[in-house]
Formats: sequence, C-alpha cells, structure tokens
Amino acid sequence: MTAAVAAAGALALVLSGCTSDGGTDGDTAKPVDTDALVTALPAATKDVDSVTWGLVEGEPLSLIPGQDYNFVSPNLCTSLLTLNGDFTAAPGIAEKADWVNPVTFQIDLRDGVKFWDGNPVTPEDVVYSLTRHWKDVTDAFYGAFVFVKSISITGDNQVTVSFTAPDSTFRDAMTGGSGAVLEKAFSEKAGKALGTAAGGVMCAGPYKLDKWTPGQDIVTTANEDYWDGAPKVKTLTYQFISDGATMTNALLSGDVDGAYNVAPSSRATFESAKDGKLYLGPSTSSFSFGPVRDTGLGANIKIRQALNLAIDRQQYIQTVLHGLGYVQSTFVAPFSWSGSPAADTYQKAYDALPEPKVDLEAAKKLVEESGEDTSQPINLGIPAGSKELSQTAAIVQSAAQQIGLTVKIEELQAADFSAIFVDKDARGDLDLISTVGYTETPGVLTYPQLFVLPPEQGGIFNWTGYDKPEVTQLIQSARTATDPQAAAESYVKAQEIFAPDMLQVTLAGAYHTTFLNNRLTGAVTSVASYSTPWAAKLGGK
Amino acid sequence: MRGRALVSLLAKLGGLLLTLFLSSIVIFSALLLTPGDPVATLAGGKRPTPEMIAAIREQFRLDDPIWLRYIDWLGGVLTGNLGESFVYKTPVGELIGPRIGVTLTLVIFAVILIAVFGIGSGILAATRGPKADRAVLLSTSIGMALPTFVMAILLIWIFAKMLGWFPVYGGGTGLLDQIHHLTLPAISLAVVYIAYISRITRASLVGELSSEHVDTARVRGIPRSRIFRSHVFLNASPQILAVSGATIAGLFATSAIAEQAFGINGLGSLLTEAAARKDLPVVQIISLLLVAIFVILNAIADTVNALIDPDSLTSGRNA
Repeated sequence: MTAAVAAAGALALVLSGCTSDGGTDGDTAKPVDTDALVTALPAATKDVDSVTWGLVEGEPLSLIPGQDYNFVSPNLCTSLLTLNGDFTAAPGIAEKADWVNPVTFQIDLRDGVKFWDGNPVTPEDVVYSLTRHWKDVTDAFYGAFVFVKSISITGDNQVTVSFTAPDSTFRDAMTGGSGAVLEKAFSEKAGKALGTAAGGVMCAGPYKLDKWTPGQDIVTTANEDYWDGAPKVKTLTYQFISDGATMTNALLSGDVDGAYNVAPSSRATFESAKDGKLYLGPSTSSFSFGPVRDTGLGANIKIRQALNLAIDRQQYIQTVLHGLGYVQSTFVAPFSWSGSPAADTYQKAYDALPEPKVDLEAAKKLVEESGEDTSQPINLGIPAGSKELSQTAAIVQSAAQQIGLTVKIEELQAADFSAIFVDKDARGDLDLISTVGYTETPGVLTYPQLFVLPPEQGGIFNWTGYDKPEVTQLIQSARTATDPQAAAESYVKAQEIFAPDMLQVTLAGAYHTTFLNNRLTGAVTSVASYSTPWAAKLGGK
Repeated sequence: MRGRALVSLLAKLGGLLLTLFLSSIVIFSALLLTPGDPVATLAGGKRPTPEMIAAIREQFRLDDPIWLRYIDWLGGVLTGNLGESFVYKTPVGELIGPRIGVTLTLVIFAVILIAVFGIGSGILAATRGPKADRAVLLSTSIGMALPTFVMAILLIWIFAKMLGWFPVYGGGTGLLDQIHHLTLPAISLAVVYIAYISRITRASLVGELSSEHVDTARVRGIPRSRIFRSHVFLNASPQILAVSGATIAGLFATSAIAEQAFGINGLGSLLTEAAARKDLPVVQIISLLLVAIFVILNAIADTVNALIDPDSLTSGRNA
C-alpha cells in the first residue's frame, strides 16, 4: 500500500513567494490574542460587481483539484461535502455522505445540482471524479483511496464506495479536492488539456471559469444557479502577484481587493491600513525543517533533538512571523483535530508533550552523545526567494553554532526545490530542508504518516529509513478504526513514540493571513480556504 | 558607389542571419545542458511513476539526440510553432503574445524618456557653460549609480505612497491608463540609460565642437544654431545612435526588474518565472527573441548611420 496524501503536494508547493518586506515596522510585534482568530467573516449583505483577488502563490499550474493547490479551484469545483471555516464538515454536492457500515461509504446526491453548462450532476460524474484519484498512483489524493475496493452507482442519485478495510480518514477527505466533482463528458473530451488555460474545467461550484489568460489573470463569473444560492460578487478576477512587497502595495492601494497568505513581514503596514484589514485565522500550517537522507548528521536523531533544544521559539516567531504564529509542540498542528468528536483526547495528549524550550547545555550533551564528526557541515536546503525560509535558515545556523555545529545554507531555485520531493538525486548532499507544510482538510493522520510509515506503506517523505513497527501498527490501526475515539487513542499512543524523534523539527505554527478591503466581508479566513468555496459568501458590507 | 553599398548591406543582412542562427544553437544547447531533469518539472510536482516518466520522455522527445531535437525546434520556430510550455501545457506563442504588447509599450516609453532627457541633458552640458555641465555631470553620476530596482523602490515610496500620484501595481488597460501605470516603471528603467546617453552625447558633441570644420564655419560667420544643427549634431549622431541601438536592446533585458517590482505581466517577468520553474521551451523562445531584438536593433542603428553618413558602410567605420 502507498499513500500520497494531499500534504505531499502541499509541502512542495506551499512555498509562497513572500520575498521582500513591504512594511516599515521596527517595533516588537505584539502577540496575537487567540480569541481574536476568525474562521469566517460576518455575512455579506450587498451585491458587488467585481472583485480582484491576488494570488501570492503565483499562477496556478492547473485548475484540477489535486494537480495543484490554489485558491481558485475550490470556488470552481466544489466537493461532495463542504468544509466550514472551523474545519467541520457540512453537506455539499452530496446531501449525505457517510458510512453505512465499517466498509461501505454511501453518497446520496443533492437533487437538482447542475454543472455550469446546465447538465445535472449525475452518479456517473461522481464515479468518474473519484476514480480519477483512485486509479492514478501519481495523483495527490491517491492516498485517500488506498483502501477502496470499488466505486459504483447504486441508485438514481446514489454512489457507493466499498472498502477493503475501514478508513477513518475518508469522510474528511471528501470535504476537499478528493471529493471534488467534475463533469465526465467535458473532462473526457478535454483530455490532456483538462484544467489548463486551454482546456478549462466544467464543474458545479459557485463560480464559472470565464477566461484564463496565461500570465495575465483568471476571470470567473457568478454561477447564478449555485445550489447554495447565487454568489454576491458577480465577477471575481484572480491576479498573480508572487512578490510579497508588490502584493502589499497592490492591496494597500486598492488595486487588489483581497489575498490570502499575505507576508507576515508587512504586518505593521497592514495593521495601519485605512482601507482594508488584516484578518488572522487558525491554520494547520507550520514552519519546520527535517532530514532528507539516511546518512549524515541530519539523519541522527540526537543531532535533531540537539538543534530542537538550541532554537529560541519566541525569537523565531518575532523575527520570521512578526508575531503571527505560536509555539507548536510537534509537527501536527492542533487545528487539525478541531472538528473531531475525539478532539479532547488529541488535545490532552498534545498538552502532555513537552513544549520546546532552549537548553544549550542539554543540546551540547546530545551532540556529544551523537558520536558524529561535528567538523563536517550540515547542509540545509531552502527555496530561493522565500524571505521567511531564508530567515529560518539563518536562525537555525546561528543556533547550531552555539552548540558546536556548522550549518551551511543552500538556496535552490523553485524547480530544483520541488524536485527534492520526487527525485532522490535532487536531494544530493543535502542533510536537512526547511519548508512550510499544511493540510487543507481535517484529520491528524494525513501529515505524520508521510514521515513515520515505511515508504512502501505511504511514508513518501520517510527519507531517513525511520522504522518503528509499533508506530506503524498504531498508525494503521488509527486509520482503520471505525470509532473516532478509538482512532484518537491509537494515534496519541503512536505520537508519544514518534514525537521525540523529531522527523520534523517544528519551529512555529503560523496563522492563516487574509487581507481584505473594507468594502468586503463574508470570506472564509482559516486554512479551510484551500478546500472550501470561500468566495461563495463573499460580498459587500 | 550605390552598388557597393547594396552589397555591403546584403553582407550585413547575411551576418545578421548567421548571428541569429548561431545564437539559436547556443540558446538551445545551453539550456539543455543546465543541471536538473525536466521530468521533475513536467510531472508538475507530483511523484512520477516509471510509466509516467517514460510517457513524458516520449511526449517531449527527451531521449532523441540533441541535434535532432534542435532541427525540430528550429523548424517549428521558423514555421511559427514555438512549442509547448512544460509548466502551463499551452503553446508558447499564446503565453508570449499577450505579454509582448505591455513590454513593448514600457520600452518605447522608456526610449522616449531616454531620448528626450538623455540627449537633451547631454546637449545642455556641452553647450550651456561650465555650471550646466557640472550640474548634468553630477546628476548623471547619481543616475548611473542607481540600479533599476533601487529606483523602483524610491519611486514607489515617493510618488505612489507619499504623494499618491501613480498606481503601484499592474500594467493598466486603455492607452491613458496604461501610460499612468507605466510612468514609474518606465522612469525606473530609463534613469540609468538617461545618464549613460547623456554622457555619450556630451562627449561626442564636445569633440565635434572643438573640431576644425566647426572653427572654420564659425570664422565664415555661419550662425551658431545652424552650425550646431548641420555640423556638430549631425556629425555626432552616428555615435549616439550606435549606443542607442544597444541601449534599447538592453531595456528589453532589464525590463524584467521593473516588471517584477510593479507587478506587470510582461515578457521579462515571464522569463524570470519560466527560468525559475525550468520551463525550457518558454525560456528558449524568449531568449531567442531578446537576441533577435538586440541584433536587429543594432542593424537598424547601422543602417540609419549609413543613411546619414554613407561612407560608414564602406570605410569600415562601423560602430
């Protein structure tokens, strides 16, 4: 069995191009009051003719969910279930989609849902859309379908998915791109061009794709027949602004009305803006670094533990995130389980983990115990052009120096950096890489299994040969548990074992940032905006 | 005389084509030799299976010998088939087409600024006495020291943020709006070249002003303004023109920086992005386009020179 879940692509792709400072803040950044975090903005009351949205991640590579992660496709191709801003699931194209027994998942389609071209959404379309992920091992959502035995039409408006084993993660996956529905006839006709500027897509979301001019913009228009009501914004245009400073300027001048993932370094500038506001929402996103091969200093657990003890998290959050983040005790962010019925179990186990703190003496001792030759440098790879990650690397470097380790920073071009995730040779002599990772649907298993499971069982980022049978067994039983509480209990037991091994050294959890012009409201402002039709409720105040 | 000039022009045209041809070979092979397997790019950040890798290699003919792929590529370029982008999976022509316009407008805008202020201040420095000369010298020294991206930041700060006169983002739509949007980018692009052209203009004018035939003309009592127009400036212009050809070509290359800073979707920003994403077909075509612009502009400068001073073609006084 292999599992390439959503985070696989996400880890590689979410290296937002926040490159330079648009702000002038010299003051110490204020910590964020967690009560002030918002998952969605108050409902819009007015129609708006047009809104321009900035994409700091740059131009999408594809609009097919799973081919690329962007904020455009969730407004075009919606899923069987809808994800709320607070990471709870609600009905979507399916009126009901749930387990009817431990190995049978039944999908009852909503009556009268239509694609933009007026054709009804049929069970054939659903089977086609789900099978795309199920049958393609290179698909980013393949991991969600590994236990699937069959996908078949079982009624006029019903699709049934049978499983070889229960899968506690499947329903959550249906709230994201894995559950997105594309029109079969259109998609098959478009062939290879599907999802590109030339081929387009045909879906049932709140916005129709009007025109994608490569390098220029993507224009979408309101789907007046959307099952959940016509959107208030009639034309939503996306512009690609991969430079963080340019984005800040465009937002402040009102040329662009809103954007997600705006640069934390522009926090002060945003907070003093007159015509717009910076909103902070909960996220699963975190900054971390981790090993990329099974030899060298990075592969040694004691060296990673030592580095973990050498880094001052508070200083990190101040410098890199300008206060827009929090200390995170392990690489799975608490927001991942916020919608789960077993949230208490997860939270209790998380709280029991030691909070990272600086202890240089203990760190030096660990370096000594590691038995490694500390005269050799540790090569740390980061993508060129990311201000946050280049600061991260500098902080890791100086922390390492304090405990007698030398870190050499290697900046890689975007394409070379993404190659790290698919090609062993591309990792070369790197020991560690620093990334921003997130999961865009609920669930705690999605992310850690990539690192802790053996590669043939889905641990596609398990590059150090990490192999603890007990962890593997507990993770698998968490996945195949039929009861959320049982799943949580297995998971937290596994976490107790793998957390100290630092397969990722987490530096901080980051809040989801949104900047929005004052005339607008209604958008989803948590990390759910990667999966949910966040613009469906956007509109004027 | 006429015949020789024609032969010479044809020889130049031949040289131009040869330069383009050799450049195309260099561009094509240089990019293939850069490290990194395009398969990773083509897989679009996904984990490719062996079958997928084989399919990609087959589709983009990555296993064919380089020369065969080159001939194919060149044949495509000559017949208007510019290939398909690795990243967008759309024809390169469709990517480049909409972007040429805005870059061209930006460059023309900058050229106008350079011509007016560069040549203007050069004339000022050469003819209006030592005070004006010093003032121009000082400002051109500052201008030359300011790289485009620093200029962009300064201009955004002063004219967009503090004074709010100009937009800071995008290329605009419609002519007036476009001019409004492109003013700051064009200035940030032009400043270095204004300083440069100003220096060249001043130097060649000073040289001409102190020449024998100008002295003779003065002695003969010809009015100063006429001496300047028909003797000094006309004689100095070949040198100014020759430099201008290279300058405009340089503008296309540096426009990437201004486009990036002001969020303009032009050729330059496409080249930067394509290079970072290892989108070889796009990089190859834009590079070839830049070389072509460079070579052609130089040829135009030469030809205009020849029209002003027909001897330049045959006497080997080529710039």
